[in-house]
Amino acid sequence: MLATLSVIVASATAVANELTPVVEETKNPILPVVSEMFWSGVFFMALWAMMKFVLLPPIVKTMDARAQKVRDDQAAAEAAATERVAKIEQYEAGLAGARSEAVSLLEQARSEGDAERRTQIAAAEADVASLRASAATEIADAKVRARSELASSIADIAVGAAEAVVQKPIDRSAQVQLVEDYVNRAGSQN
Amino acid sequence: MIFGLEFPAIEQLVEWPNAFGDEGVWYGFNKIALINMVALVATSLVFILAARRKTLVDGTLVPRGPRNLIESAVSFIREGIIMETVGADGLRYLPFLTSLFFFILIGNIFEVIPFFHMPANARMAGPAVLALLTWIYFIAVGLKHQGLKYFWNSVAPPGVPKALLPLVIPIELLSTFIVRPFSLAVRLFANMLAGHILLVTFSVLCITLFSATLLALVLPFSFAMLVGLTGFEIMVAFLQAYIFTILAAVYIGSSMHAEH
Repeated sequence: MLATLSVIVASATAVANELTPVVEETKNPILPVVSEMFWSGVFFMALWAMMKFVLLPPIVKTMDARAQKVRDDQAAAEAAATERVAKIEQYEAGLAGARSEAVSLLEQARSEGDAERRTQIAAAEADVASLRASAATEIADAKVRARSELASSIADIAVGAAEAVVQKPIDRSAQVQLVEDYVNRAGSQN
Repeated sequence: MIFGLEFPAIEQLVEWPNAFGDEGVWYGFNKIALINMVALVATSLVFILAARRKTLVDGTLVPRGPRNLIESAVSFIREGIIMETVGADGLRYLPFLTSLFFFILIGNIFEVIPFFHMPANARMAGPAVLALLTWIYFIAVGLKHQGLKYFWNSVAPPGVPKALLPLVIPIELLSTFIVRPFSLAVRLFANMLAGHILLVTFSVLCITLFSATLLALVLPFSFAMLVGLTGFEIMVAFLQAYIFTILAAVYIGSSMHAEH
């Protein structure tokens, strides 16, 4: 095992020794060059420092300010929307209150109107009743007057007719009393 | 030379001489360093232009002009990456992740910019540095949020049966602390290098076919492929920047809470 290993190592060393002069003569284009690494590092570090302290802050500041403004505007828009909703709700509540107030006023007016109507009707009916009563009184008086006049006239006619028939004076007051009784009985039968 | 095509060596496609500094010195400044510098300057300029007062419609917070572009990008990183992977707690890491995104995106997009035609991240150096920084960053975030328990929580996630720990610990150790930075770097590097080689291949093919022979009949197809792949590479440039950034955000997010 060790012998095999030593042979491999010896072979590798021999190959390496053979290749070494070639490697020294040829520049490997893939390997990094120190001067390029140096300048690359210097310029990158300079850019990084510039970026951190000079170049980026004003750009980021403006971007952040814009983002903040957008956020503020959005918040203001949301607040306005909330306020609008609240005002709509308030308006609708007011509208509902006004509606219910209008309904209650209408009801009140209707009931007041009904009461007034009833009062007016009652007054009118009372007036009518009173007018009817007075008219009935007047009619009754007129009846009484007419009956009395009728009785008197009938008595006069009857007494005149009787005196003409019997050719002598008749007791006028008794005849009148008789006619009046008759008229009164006839009137009470009507 | 393959079928009469003279394809350049890979070194010629990705290695660039220094504009100053000798070859091999640590401060050598080449095309890749220039692209990285442009990534810094261009990003800074666009952000500065976007931050001006004039980019807001008068008296409002409404953006216009370059601010639209930058705010869209920042919003994309903030909402599309951080909020989706880490949550609101991760917003403090916006500068790091934004820097990563723009640095990688602009470095990548140079693949299709005339006269450059080289993505900075088709070299291993850039992705390696960014992956290393991300690695350090998420470990630092873990230590900040969980203290030293972060290391134990990372390799032995809460809720795992004790019997499984001997199996889970090496796997988690390897995946969290070794594979993560390595995969971050290699993914970006390999994708950009592959795209670069693909565009170079079709460019070389178009140049070779641009001749007074029958081969010129194939040129329109090759050119159409080149145009299509250029558009594809623009998408890949963006996609790789996004993938690197979102993975960095995921790693940072996982370091913040033990339950991850």
